[in-house]
Amino acid sequence: MTETAAPHLFDRALLAARRARARTRPREGADFLLRRAIDDLDDRLLPVMRTFPRAVDLGLAAGPAAQVVRRLGKAETVTTAALDAEAGADLVVDEEALPFPPESLDLVISMLSLQFVDDLPGTLVQIRRALRPDGLFLAALLGGDSLRELREALAAAEVETTGGLSPRVAPFVGVRDLGGLLQRAGFALPVTDSDRFTVRYRSMFDLVADLRAMGATNPLVDRSRRPSSRRFFLRAAEIYAERFADPDGRLRATFEIVSASGWAPHESQQKPAKPGSATVSLATALKARPLPDDL
Amino acid sequence: MTDESALPEDRRRGRLDPRLLELLICPLTRTTLTYDAEKQELVSRAARLAYPIRDGIPIMLPSEAREIE
Repeated sequence: MTETAAPHLFDRALLAARRARARTRPREGADFLLRRAIDDLDDRLLPVMRTFPRAVDLGLAAGPAAQVVRRLGKAETVTTAALDAEAGADLVVDEEALPFPPESLDLVISMLSLQFVDDLPGTLVQIRRALRPDGLFLAALLGGDSLRELREALAAAEVETTGGLSPRVAPFVGVRDLGGLLQRAGFALPVTDSDRFTVRYRSMFDLVADLRAMGATNPLVDRSRRPSSRRFFLRAAEIYAERFADPDGRLRATFEIVSASGWAPHESQQKPAKPGSATVSLATALKARPLPDDL
Repeated sequence: MTDESALPEDRRRGRLDPRLLELLICPLTRTTLTYDAEKQELVSRAARLAYPIRDGIPIMLPSEAREIE
């Protein structure tokens, strides 16, 4: 595969501004995605039977992920880093150009932030290089199926009202792609998983209010710069309600959180044996433990 | 946050935690940084940029950095 420049999709300065603004206007319950990702992080980190001298939480805000690491006693120091200065983190960094020296960290955690980088493969390589051998990377990203209803409703309304189409919902990574990206970035023992679920809303506007409170409204560079008309949004809400309502009138919104973990390679890790290095034939191995009939 | 009058070693917010400094390199050139305590900046000679430290928080964004000659 040839190296090409990553497409410029996301307006990172706008994203930082949106996140900073969202902090000043919290909305009850709108952090449900982050809470879900953090619960999962807890489950994934708990069984890891080691402590990490130096951990970095590349987060949306200082806090939740770092707290899990501290509570579980998994790291000696936890440094928090975020994209906007209002996050209350120890550092302000852009995940597209990380400021960490090679092999300087033992644990890197990123919760629901990496879906908005242009060059995810590049960022993963940077993270892997920043990890010491046998260092661990744990991430959660908004995944491919997320907001598919919103994407469809906005697109249909835009075609109707303006005759054109502009990108309004960001493309999200699929769970299989993410596994491949981890591998290409040089992570050992990569594991990915997908958590798909439906959240129900009274109207499209409640969904959009949640997204705004997450600082996650349209950060695309190619977004339409003309303010959209009220008529457009009303029509989109109508289409959303027509196509995605449950019998009780509530509207479905799909979310998918894809999680990933990978280790910086180390000789102590399990590896596949070299082809041809077996000392017992496959037939013998299969005979030694007969398979049950119904398999 | 360039008020240098109250600088002692105290760990109050507003001063850079020295342990953070060893964690950081220039995100553009991947070279070492020097700490300018007076200006509260992290200087990358290779990139000719000075990254500001605001309230003790290093802002490691090239877009926020000051160009130096």
